[in-house]
Amino acid sequence: MSAIVVTGLTKKFGTLTAVNNVSFTVPEGEIFGYLGPNGAGKTTTIRILTGITAPTAGTAAILGHDIVEETLTARSHMGIVPETSNIYDDLTAWQNLMFTAELYRVGKAEREKRAQELLETFQLLDRKDDKVHGFSKGMKRRLTLAMGLVNDPRLLFLDEPTSGLDVQSNLIIKDVIRDLNDRGVTVFLTTHNIEEANTLCHRVAIINRGTIAAIDAPERLKQAIQSVQSVELAFDHMGTEVLEMLHRIPNVNEVRKEGDRVRLYTPDPGSVLEAAMASLKVQGIRPLSVNTLGPSLEDVFVKLTGLDRGHNRDPKGK
Amino acid sequence: MTMEYSLYHFRNDLHGAWAIAKKDLVIYYLKPAIYMSGLLFPLFMLLAFAVGKSAPIATLIPGLIAITSLFSASSIEPVAIPIERRTKTFDRLLSAPISLFALVLGESVSGLLFSGSICLALFIGGAVLLRTAAFSLPVLLLAIALSCFTFAAMGAVFSAYPTENVGEVMSLLNLVRLPLIFISGVFVPLETMPPWGMAVARISPLTYGNDLVRYGFEGTTHFGIAVDVVLLLVFTAIFLALGNFLYRKFNE
Repeated sequence: MSAIVVTGLTKKFGTLTAVNNVSFTVPEGEIFGYLGPNGAGKTTTIRILTGITAPTAGTAAILGHDIVEETLTARSHMGIVPETSNIYDDLTAWQNLMFTAELYRVGKAEREKRAQELLETFQLLDRKDDKVHGFSKGMKRRLTLAMGLVNDPRLLFLDEPTSGLDVQSNLIIKDVIRDLNDRGVTVFLTTHNIEEANTLCHRVAIINRGTIAAIDAPERLKQAIQSVQSVELAFDHMGTEVLEMLHRIPNVNEVRKEGDRVRLYTPDPGSVLEAAMASLKVQGIRPLSVNTLGPSLEDVFVKLTGLDRGHNRDPKGK
Repeated sequence: MTMEYSLYHFRNDLHGAWAIAKKDLVIYYLKPAIYMSGLLFPLFMLLAFAVGKSAPIATLIPGLIAITSLFSASSIEPVAIPIERRTKTFDRLLSAPISLFALVLGESVSGLLFSGSICLALFIGGAVLLRTAAFSLPVLLLAIALSCFTFAAMGAVFSAYPTENVGEVMSLLNLVRLPLIFISGVFVPLETMPPWGMAVARISPLTYGNDLVRYGFEGTTHFGIAVDVVLLLVFTAIFLALGNFLYRKFNE
């Protein structure tokens, strides 16, 4: 059975079409990434899939249950972790978990056992009786995720789970996502962190202006845009004259300065590398390292969403 | 939104509503805005009307209980829901496997329990300090319970207004609550009202709550116990249905 089946989903707010005829299927046991720039329609899609908002047109089924006709049954199989850590600051970590479990009608013995396990997993057991308002952002995020799992869901919606978190919380949450998936839980992940999607997701969908631009495994998406390859050069010192010179090399579409490195985007890395080395030799500059790189998931995202990398195009690196 | 509703979901709704009521009581019992609006405001208002009048203070207790049930029961949700919208915890309730009706019911039950306890405290305080006695304790308890639940459901209607600002909801609510206390026989006995005044009084739920509370204390009623009870139940049903409708409408 598919965890999520979305067919022709459309949501309009007045004249604005937030989600436009979106269709996709997520098999059970998959980690599915849903990527898109701000305002692309990610949150609206999640609100429809979780039964908070009704679609204007189209259908969505969660584990075989239509989200409009069988909202409550569909929801009972889900765990939801929204972008904002929506926990009750005036309750303790334990009380927050108990309340959420009661909303999902988890029996007393079961919810206490689950809460104990989850607090241990998320390294919050020693703070279980503390009110949440004293928790750090990372601790609140971990507790929100624990609350999303207290009903032992078969499908977990994660909206920006690691955004702005400390390293410890980040690692814990990523480990938990992988463990959940190993146990067969389907994860629907929206994130701005493309590297996170690249390493965690089996497949990603890229949504832009309410429309799906592409759906596939990250590696296959990268293969589809081989024209966005790059040559990366690292220097001891990189003046503006070097950047300007590199920018003038034929077949270079874009020059991006990244710390002590510079990336030259090109469909023909061989000729660009040759030309770059020749130009540098004339000026007596020797790079510290040289790499040729395939497209990253971020490159796929930028290409498909038409985003402008803006300042990075400036040969002076401003 | 659902066509799947069954006995199983109804039980889930009752369970969820009770969880929401308990959560509200733990979190919002001690919020200053609720105490100011729910207890101190009606107390000061009644004292303001009583100053300079010859009636003994003990005679104020029935009226105080009636308007306290209105102000305290209708205050919980208009404070709680905008706060929960701001902190996004409201989305947690909206996305739980319970219906909107369970949400409205849970919020109303918390208003009933909060307000009921305050009204009981007023009754006990009056009995101990002023020696006010109930003519019929069962009717008085019924009057308190029904009034509190009706006005808690009324609070749910106003809290559906889609704002994160407590003040906005309270302003709207006070536009209705304040006139109610003047047209419902709390300060001016129903028997002395002109015909147009009686006509207006009949559309106020506080009229029937106040009438029932007075019976509980004094053994006299204008409309009769049965009429008061039935009309309070009708108002409650209307408020719950309207609250449910508005939450659904504004949620879109």
